Amino acid sequence: MSDSKKILALAVEIGDVLLRNGGEIYRVEDTILHVLDAYGVAEYDVYVLSNGIFASANEQKEDACSIVRHVPLGDVHLGRIAAVNQLSREISAGECDVAEAWKRLDSCKAIPVERPVVQNICCGVGCACFCTIFGGGPLDAFFSFLLGFFLQFLRLRQQEHGTSKFLTNIAGSAFLTASSLALLKMGLPVLQDKIVIGSIVPLLPGIALTTSIRDLFGGDYLSGAIHLLDALLTAMCIALGVGMVMILYRDLTGGVIML
Amino acid sequence: MILQFVLAMIATASFAVLFCVPKDQFLFSSLTGALGWIGYLIFCGLGCGTVTASLLATFFLTIVSRFFAAVRKNPVTLYLMTSIFTLVPGAGIYYTSYYFIIDDMASFAAKGIETFKIAGAIAVGIIFGFSIPQSVFRWRSKG
Repeated sequence: MSDSKKILALAVEIGDVLLRNGGEIYRVEDTILHVLDAYGVAEYDVYVLSNGIFASANEQKEDACSIVRHVPLGDVHLGRIAAVNQLSREISAGECDVAEAWKRLDSCKAIPVERPVVQNICCGVGCACFCTIFGGGPLDAFFSFLLGFFLQFLRLRQQEHGTSKFLTNIAGSAFLTASSLALLKMGLPVLQDKIVIGSIVPLLPGIALTTSIRDLFGGDYLSGAIHLLDALLTAMCIALGVGMVMILYRDLTGGVIML
Repeated sequence: MILQFVLAMIATASFAVLFCVPKDQFLFSSLTGALGWIGYLIFCGLGCGTVTASLLATFFLTIVSRFFAAVRKNPVTLYLMTSIFTLVPGAGIYYTSYYFIIDDMASFAAKGIETFKIAGAIAVGIIFGFSIPQSVFRWRSKG
């Protein structure tokens, strides 16, 4: 493998890690360009989409090379983004050669996600807090915690089985609404809507919305549109899940829930 | 207000765990989220509608994230993504589908449009926040 090919492979791999873990297009492109610059590749072209990277180097020379990479939309892991960002900083400063960079990149990729139990608890705590700041009482917060806990459990299980994201969102919000209605039906003095609003937060497309705006703002219309569509569809799936359960409740019990 | 601040901080911190923010940045992520939420409450208290308050709070939140990003030398995404959850209109989505189900079409339209407006306001807030030149934040981090 020629030198330029090795360098391009490294740069694209770095971009891949960033993109896979939720980096914005602008950052991915910028990082790849910086790495190529730092290792002295003079001629290059890089085009990044939200699910793919296209790069070529030294097109006019003997050692011309190019890489096309498909990067599926994945889960956000901001720790890896921060680590890769630090790595690219050091590469730009010339403190890191290619072999060293590969090793560092591998350790960046190996940064683990939290254990499932910790994730479940954190999700529950987050839901409980959101429930309270959106106007719920202590009892509502308690049930939000439980629902958030099981919601994350559900999401992790569905991730393992590779269920589609749409189904996860519909099932998740349906589960939340159904459980909160069951609590209400049991005669507990809960604010059913606050429980759902609090525990629905982990499903919301906050990240997709933010990323899409930043991509659009950076002039990457195609990637921005992809993320915007993702955000809209997620929101609709949530509404669908909530709505289906409510219709079912109305038809089964003959009464609607009053706010 | 203090209780709200603390709760918003804990909420954002727990979400930071889900998105695997590095441990040494938890404090800053959660501070950003809490400041955003308090900003929203303050703007609401000053008489802004939910849409205007969302816009101003997002603008404020974006500036805070960029400030932390410059000071802590980390991608701004770290702070912005985790803290935006306090402002995303989950309640709007819920009430919209609720009114749709109970056939209250007037409220359904009103809530639905409000939800879209808030989403748009968040977008505009972020865009305004990023329009401030990076040099402003570099100067701050030196000083």
